[in-house]
Amino acid sequence: MFMARVKGTVVATVKHPTLEGCRFLLVQRLEADGALAEEPNLVVDWQGATNGSTVIVSTDGDIARAQFGNTTPARMVVMGIVDIVAAPAGSEMVNV
Amino acid sequence: MRLGIVRGHVVLNPAVESFNSKTLALVEPISMQNLRAKNGLGGGKSLVAIDELGAAEGQIVAFTEGREAANPFWPGSVPVDAYCALIADSIEVQPE
Repeated sequence: MFMARVKGTVVATVKHPTLEGCRFLLVQRLEADGALAEEPNLVVDWQGATNGSTVIVSTDGDIARAQFGNTTPARMVVMGIVDIVAAPAGSEMVNV
Repeated sequence: MRLGIVRGHVVLNPAVESFNSKTLALVEPISMQNLRAKNGLGGGKSLVAIDELGAAEGQIVAFTEGREAANPFWPGSVPVDAYCALIADSIEVQPE
């Protein structure tokens, strides 16, 4: 799992049938120093994260299979929206 | 999933049996910088992904990597590790 910041949304008409009705968010992985990864990721969300939200993304497809069926190619799913991060004072990660 | 621009297609002859009648797309992953600039550039290391959606050259797709890429062929066993899950119509990115 990793922390990521929501940076946008993606709309797709043509998609795998199991992904019908899914909400796709564009996120950037957060590094330990608070920097954002160069390459964005597309994740599935049903927690209601919006632009600027910090989220936890799991790269295990189990929850996606449970939600969309065994044939879904979905893998990265938002597990939750980060509320508080407890980390040493001065750490960039505190400023989520 | 990551986002990538379709740069072309790959045809195999011969191929392992489970790859028969599969379309392979050559995909170049896109960095956040290029996505924002909408400059048609990718920036990542190209890879080949199974495409069942009919993505054309220049279109942006989201592809799943890892074991989950083979889920659409469940319960069959197909040795794929990248699968185009959707073709992006519109991508809304929060300004920097």
